Amino acid sequence: MTTDAALATTAAGDEWVIDLAHVAKTYRGKIHALKGISMRVRRGEVFGLLGPNGAGKSTLVKILMTVIRPSRCDGTMLGHPVGSRPVLRRVGYLPEHHRFPPYLTGAQVLDFYAAMTEVNRADRRRRTPELLELVGMRDWAKTKVSRYSKGMRQRVGIAQALMNDPDIVLLDEPTDGVDPVGRRDIRAIVQELRSRGKTVFLNSHLLSELEMVCDRVAILVGGQVASQGAIAELTAGQERYEIELALPPDGGTTLGGTAVPAVLEQIGTALQPGPRAASAPDSSLAARRWHGTLATGESLEVDHATLRVGTTDPAAIQHIVDALRARGLVIRSIRPHRPSLEDLFMQAVEKPNGGPGKEGGA
Amino acid sequence: MITQTLAIFLDAYRELNSKKLFWITLALSGLVVLIYAAIGIDAKGVSFLWFRLPFIPTTSEEIPPELLYKSIFMRLGLGLWLTWIATILALISTAGIIPDMIAGGSIEMLLSRPISRPRLLLTKYASGLLFVTLQVGVFTAACFLVIGVRGRAWEPGLFLAVPLVVCFFSYLFCFCALVGVLTRSTIASLLLTLLFWFVLFILNAADATLLMFQSRAELQRDAYVERLESARDAAGKIIAARREQAGEPVPEGFVPSDEEMRGVMPWIGMVFDNRDDAEESLAKLRPWVRAVYLGKTFLPKTGETIALLERSLMSAADLERMAETDDEEQTAVDEDTGEAAISDSELSVRLEQELRDRPVWWVLGTSLAFEAVILALAVGSFSRKDL
Repeated sequence: MTTDAALATTAAGDEWVIDLAHVAKTYRGKIHALKGISMRVRRGEVFGLLGPNGAGKSTLVKILMTVIRPSRCDGTMLGHPVGSRPVLRRVGYLPEHHRFPPYLTGAQVLDFYAAMTEVNRADRRRRTPELLELVGMRDWAKTKVSRYSKGMRQRVGIAQALMNDPDIVLLDEPTDGVDPVGRRDIRAIVQELRSRGKTVFLNSHLLSELEMVCDRVAILVGGQVASQGAIAELTAGQERYEIELALPPDGGTTLGGTAVPAVLEQIGTALQPGPRAASAPDSSLAARRWHGTLATGESLEVDHATLRVGTTDPAAIQHIVDALRARGLVIRSIRPHRPSLEDLFMQAVEKPNGGPGKEGGA
Repeated sequence: MITQTLAIFLDAYRELNSKKLFWITLALSGLVVLIYAAIGIDAKGVSFLWFRLPFIPTTSEEIPPELLYKSIFMRLGLGLWLTWIATILALISTAGIIPDMIAGGSIEMLLSRPISRPRLLLTKYASGLLFVTLQVGVFTAACFLVIGVRGRAWEPGLFLAVPLVVCFFSYLFCFCALVGVLTRSTIASLLLTLLFWFVLFILNAADATLLMFQSRAELQRDAYVERLESARDAAGKIIAARREQAGEPVPEGFVPSDEEMRGVMPWIGMVFDNRDDAEESLAKLRPWVRAVYLGKTFLPKTGETIALLERSLMSAADLERMAETDDEEQTAVDEDTGEAAISDSELSVRLEQELRDRPVWWVLGTSLAFEAVILALAVGSFSRKDL
């Protein structure tokens, strides 16, 4: 059996195309870039890796692509130990801050890197125009990459990552420097890859981009996984209703002429004041946040003129609305709120000591 | 594997193609060949284009055209152009190959492919030699035509220049690659390689100088010994004649002693002294010559590698013939001073012979062993590096 065939057979039955455990990287014995990452990526999903600068995202991707040697790694990719070179024939990769030889044209870039991945000449010739078309660069095929804009280089970079028709595509900041139209196109490509059963591993700072396309995410903080799972799973229990009031012009120190505790006492909660805002007048609404628990058990938070009720049940907020209206308060809006990926990210980053944190299921 | 190797070589060719210096070097090579072809020699003398060069008193009867063109190719085409000027231009062009490859953004694109680090580095290194291979190949082919057409000698052995010059360049380029891996800097690679080359040059110069002193001392000693032998015969005859005149018996095969020689030839004492001085100089020089030889054993032999072509193209007889045209004087001992006047041509032939006596395995084998060690260090460093 050839190596390729063996690889294909081994990986075919595996659900996890990337299965990492205890991935650690220490530079010069003292800088701990990764502190024991465990992470799993399912076949055919779009997986997002996010984290602040220096979290270790690129280090992790480089370890997967054998660019960096891990201090420890018990993981597998496509069923083979991380670091196995033959498996790289089935992986596409776009590094962050990649640099193509400036003397090559777009088409030559695709041909060169595909040849380095051992794609045969016939396939290279067939796929080069197809992929340049896919990323909208066909008209620039014969132009040297030194004349490309950053966005154009990014598009060609994505095309070269697909030249070997990979099972997994690792894209490190693929939308970096790309205009909004280009970003939409890249999202469409990612979704198209998913529809073809490919696994896409996205590494990005742009949380909104990830949120739109990712099935699951992992948040890396300080070299550890702070949380990972489907976004819906990670936000479970954090959905709430937000009631926004129309405030009097002066900002007010009360809700409709009544002190906040008094209003909230009526709807059955004992509120505790939060930290005082430094620039706000004493005891004004803007100055304080209040939080407490309703008699029915849901959490309640008053932030300036917004009340947040920790429930997804609309019936649970009706008596609050009644109480507010009874006090003559004007309600500007009532809406259900689901935490965004950005909210999750900020929670993870602001959590003391970073990860390891929540597992939202594999 | 073949696909990747071909891709790296094609990429190296495209990179060269994009460099102005590659084409400038090629154009300069063309100019050198044109100048070479413009030189002519016939029974009347040497000419350049349509002009006679009366200050070069040589004709085709003294030096056949074939020998002249071969000699010019060896001394100027190979010795000056290819191994100095073109090599410096080649180093400038290729010094960035390894640092550029391992620069951030580029190396990730290559290491993420199914190719091992040692093979990637060594293939890239080999592709760097493409510059010199193409340059020397074109230059040698053009010179082959010039020697064939103008010198009326078709000399396929000339193409030995291609592997030899590539070999010579590779001694420097391996060092350049090692510095490139360690520092990732093109400037550092270039400057340190030029410094390394300078060190080799100094060592070669020291070797050549010591060898010249040794050869001169040997020639002097040989001249004194030869003169003493002929003087001993003459002194023997004089002493024998005197004894016969005096009615003293002369033994069969009589050979006079040194003292007896001094008695009949007072000036011969200076020759004895000079012979002893020459022997003493040789005894002092030999350890130094051996030390430099030993030192060179562990380093690449740039000069000797190029000289292998001369060994192949020009026989010792050719060299003597060339030397004789420069200097008709023979080494001889002056009877007034007792000093040996060394003929330059004999000295140069003796020196050349000394160099030619150095075995090919020593010249190429130890140089390539040095290159292998340097490349092993570069591969080791590259394989361990986090990039």
